[in-house]
Amino acid sequence: MIPRTFLLFVLLLALPIAFAQVTFDDIRRSPNSNWLTYSGDYASQRHSPLSQINTTNVRSLVARWVFHVPEARKLEASPIVYEGVMYITNSNEIFAVDARNGRKIWHYRNAQAKGARVNRGSAIYGDRMFLVTTDAHLVALHRSTGAVLWEKEYASANDGYSSSMAPLAIQDAILVGVAGGGSGQRGFVAAMHPVTGKEIWRFWTVPAKGEPGSESWGNFPSDWGGAPTWTTGSYDPELNTVYWPTGNPWPDFYGGDRPGDNLYSDSVVALDGATGKLKWYFQFTPHDVWDWDANETPVLVNATFRGKPRKLLVQANRNGYYYILDRLTGEFLHAKPFVKRLDWATGLNDKGRPMVVKEKIPTPAGTKVCPSVRGATNWMSPSFNPATGLLYVVTLEQCDIIIASAKDPEPSTGFRGTGSEGIPTEPGQFYLRALDLLTGNIKWEHEMPGPGTMWAGTVSTAGGLVFTGDDDGNLVALDARTGKDLWHFSTGHSLYASPVTFMVDGKQYVTIAAESDVFTFALF
Amino acid sequence: MRSLLLAATVAFAQDRNPFSGDPLAVEAGRETYLGACSACHGASGQGGQGPSLISGREVNRLPDAHLFRSIKNGLPGTDMPNFNLPDDKVWQLVSFVRSLSAPAVTANLQGNPEKGRDLFFGEAGCSKCHMIAGQGGFLGPDLTNAGLNRNVHQLREAVTQPNARVDDGFHAATVITTAGQKLEGIVKNHNNYSVQLLDATGRLHLLQRSSLKSLELRSASLMPADYTKRFSKDRIEDLMTFLSRLSARPYEPEPTTRRRR
Repeated sequence: MIPRTFLLFVLLLALPIAFAQVTFDDIRRSPNSNWLTYSGDYASQRHSPLSQINTTNVRSLVARWVFHVPEARKLEASPIVYEGVMYITNSNEIFAVDARNGRKIWHYRNAQAKGARVNRGSAIYGDRMFLVTTDAHLVALHRSTGAVLWEKEYASANDGYSSSMAPLAIQDAILVGVAGGGSGQRGFVAAMHPVTGKEIWRFWTVPAKGEPGSESWGNFPSDWGGAPTWTTGSYDPELNTVYWPTGNPWPDFYGGDRPGDNLYSDSVVALDGATGKLKWYFQFTPHDVWDWDANETPVLVNATFRGKPRKLLVQANRNGYYYILDRLTGEFLHAKPFVKRLDWATGLNDKGRPMVVKEKIPTPAGTKVCPSVRGATNWMSPSFNPATGLLYVVTLEQCDIIIASAKDPEPSTGFRGTGSEGIPTEPGQFYLRALDLLTGNIKWEHEMPGPGTMWAGTVSTAGGLVFTGDDDGNLVALDARTGKDLWHFSTGHSLYASPVTFMVDGKQYVTIAAESDVFTFALF
Repeated sequence: MRSLLLAATVAFAQDRNPFSGDPLAVEAGRETYLGACSACHGASGQGGQGPSLISGREVNRLPDAHLFRSIKNGLPGTDMPNFNLPDDKVWQLVSFVRSLSAPAVTANLQGNPEKGRDLFFGEAGCSKCHMIAGQGGFLGPDLTNAGLNRNVHQLREAVTQPNARVDDGFHAATVITTAGQKLEGIVKNHNNYSVQLLDATGRLHLLQRSSLKSLELRSASLMPADYTKRFSKDRIEDLMTFLSRLSARPYEPEPTTRRRR
């Protein structure tokens, strides 16, 4: 016999349900108490207005909970947080947890996905969550229950495609990208409809033969060109423009078969949000033979540059230069090295094109090049604090020996034009560097002793803090103005993710994922 | 050279289950299992002290040869001991364990799936609580991948004896707060410190246990327990067939058992 109260409850089920919707405007206002995109905001400044945790009290920050992801080995995700629920992704799975205490609400795993790769996060829009699988399917899940609404393949694993990125929700479209720069797939950004999963547009990052830019490849097949889109781009809602960074041309280290600049590899492409049409592009490393993907986060800032108010796009690039572009036009405005170990170019010309040192082009015998293949920075998130005017960039000072050799290229065979090795007597050294937004000058730096293996990023807050993972597994809080080391916590893990911050029930939290566990902190 | 070849052949033979595809081996394995394994993995393989053999990935993703070695040698650093059984018995156990995790979609049930669909969304009222690809209610488990993430025995049990087992996260409950507010819904999770409750309007209530006067958990399933009385065997089979074929993408065997690219 079912008790009467439950009968009433079951009767309620017949009523139509209107779930709370996360709107485009909600995402435009993020971050606030919520953290609604991979970077927190469309501009990818990764700066939170929360200041409950600040320079005066951060010493009282304590661990509140740890969420263990049983199958995880290398969590790289930035969680999404909405109204007290945190969404944590691992490869082919997502957990919804109570953000105040780490208690699981639901879990979804895609047991059919092929391949094994990391995952960097999800997107939230309407009443649903979106994540990509290792084999490039976009999955839409009901946000309250994790129920599967649909699953769409947007690139074929049989063609060698895979994916690891956090999708980006813009108005009525979910943007996705692919990996494949190391195995000879053709990169693209695609917009998928959040309700139907239908593809709205697709921008190929390697032009088809005959299209503008295809002349920059010689006879090399465009289907093999790489220029992957394995990180999350930025978005300007006012300009309805998507700024997506692209990766290296394939084969990574041998360029003999692909004469020319290899557009649009190692670039940022500005795409119309409604159509995916190219508005402009800027290529950081033409004809890359060092594997310097430009997939680092492009940060959008409005500022007065040399006396003129400008809409800027800045990026600390893997090739060692910090770039300032006009994001309306793509015009190159300024660049400056942010590492000391940089020897592949003597500088950039007035269009931002590097003047390459010929001796630094890799050879079969091996060529010492600075920065290293991992780069002066990489996909680890930078952050920008408008109050300090500083961009916080995790930086690696390192050189490598890069070896290049010719071979008839064949995609998905493991061939990358050969590879690289470290120099045992010159180990890499990580720093968090605070770059002046308008000059690229290093205002301060925080040295990170460690094995040189981390991939953690940062989050900036209005509490005058910048949080960063360090090379020894610590989450660290630094004074955003001076770099003074104010607080740290050893996770006991290596760090490969960037922290986020949010607020629930009047309490500010800071979260970072570390190997197999997600750590969350608040004031004692 | 000859002995090398022989060794290679033996090693090769040990990687394959000699009883693969043999239903008698599954039955023989079941007998051994009940005696040797069920104390930790549960009589129906649902797990307990040991992992679930139905849905546990740490078991399912292992190739046959690894599973064989795990049973034969045990797993250091875990509670899994070594079992001093003849190889044949171990391979039969492997056959049985594999049968437990075979998803319902492989069972090839012969009912009429279209009639089953009609029953699901119509007379049986399943879709009031269960969702398939976004259609239906949300208080019961999502069934979009019912053919993939359940074996046929689990599906049958869920339909015919719903009170035998209620999945974690799907217990109905009534909560009364210290302020006197009464909430009813499905408890997604709870412990001594917090309760996560989804109500019938789809709103999630994240509650501190200290703010509650009472939490009454209902042990029985919300699902009707009278389907076998209300519907004929054939119609239940139609429903089973429909459910067993549900998957968001076509079924393929686990990636670890397939050829690597």
